[in-house]
Amino acid sequence: MKIGVVGKGGAGKTTTAALVARTLARQGHSVVALDCDANPNLGLALGFGAEATERLAGIRQALDEENAEHAPTPAEMLARFGADGPDGIRLAVVSKIEKPNPG
Amino acid sequence: MRIAFVGKGGNGKSSIAGSFARLLARAGDPVLALDVDTLPGLSYALGLGLVGDAGLPAELAERREKIGWVMRKPVSAEELMEQHALRGPDGIRFMQLGKLPGNVRPGSSVAFRHVLETFRKPGWSMVADLAAGTRQSSGGWASFAETVAVVVQPSRAALIAARRLRTFIPAETRVGLVINLARSGQPLGSEQIASELQLPLWGEVPYDEEVAAADLAGVAPIDSAPGSPAMVEIARLLSRLREEGAR
Repeated sequence: MKIGVVGKGGAGKTTTAALVARTLARQGHSVVALDCDANPNLGLALGFGAEATERLAGIRQALDEENAEHAPTPAEMLARFGADGPDGIRLAVVSKIEKPNPG
Repeated sequence: MRIAFVGKGGNGKSSIAGSFARLLARAGDPVLALDVDTLPGLSYALGLGLVGDAGLPAELAERREKIGWVMRKPVSAEELMEQHALRGPDGIRFMQLGKLPGNVRPGSSVAFRHVLETFRKPGWSMVADLAAGTRQSSGGWASFAETVAVVVQPSRAALIAARRLRTFIPAETRVGLVINLARSGQPLGSEQIASELQLPLWGEVPYDEEVAAADLAGVAPIDSAPGSPAMVEIARLLSRLREEGAR
């Protein structure tokens, strides 16, 4: 199952996505949670805590900074940049803006 | 005054920015209100309802080889405002990033940025409502502003967004905190939030049923609930910034 949660800011996307992810995980499914917001907070709602949420690097930015010989596979990206959290959920942040980017 | 409202989604930037712009206009400043979001929001709070035609024509800008996007012909921001900005209550002029819904062509966006950065009509104020989150601020969309209000509702996620936003605002900009949707006895107090973010507390707008009802109806809270506690606090915010000589 692949679910995307979309909507206007502040409507509760993150909270909904986290509840669905935790519920699925508790029912025995293996769950990968992807935070696709450039201002990522999904870790908070999943229960990773504020510090761990802040520590997660954006995959896109991390890959931009290295001279990759080959593009890593999705599984490699999850292994390298993801983190494990409550109920065995693997969380990764797709893109996180941390530096000013004029234009 | 050139002011931008930034913050996490759903924290009430548009409601506050729209009401603030109306009150500023009533105080005698001609106001250009700018919706820098591709989703509608500010026009409701200004009392214009849903408008689809306050974006600039995409043909104003073009992409040139090796240079990138530029205005096709030299045209001043003031002219663009006169020609394209809608007229709203209290004499407010209104422009938005692109034509709605969600169909923003690059040329429109480039022309809008030109207005944002070069509009300097003497005596006029600019009030801008930025899109939710950090992307636009990281791209310099708030750098026209001399005053930036970070809107935060009492939540951990909003604090994290505010801390990230702060790093994208130029050092010379005056930055302050506006707590929104404050409730009495909230676990994380407004003073505590201000201290954690190391921002001056400029205002504390309470959660207000009348504003929530205005949001639902798509009308401007400054029209439907002018005496509500939230509107009173936004008026206080305006007085404070004016007294402090906010530019």
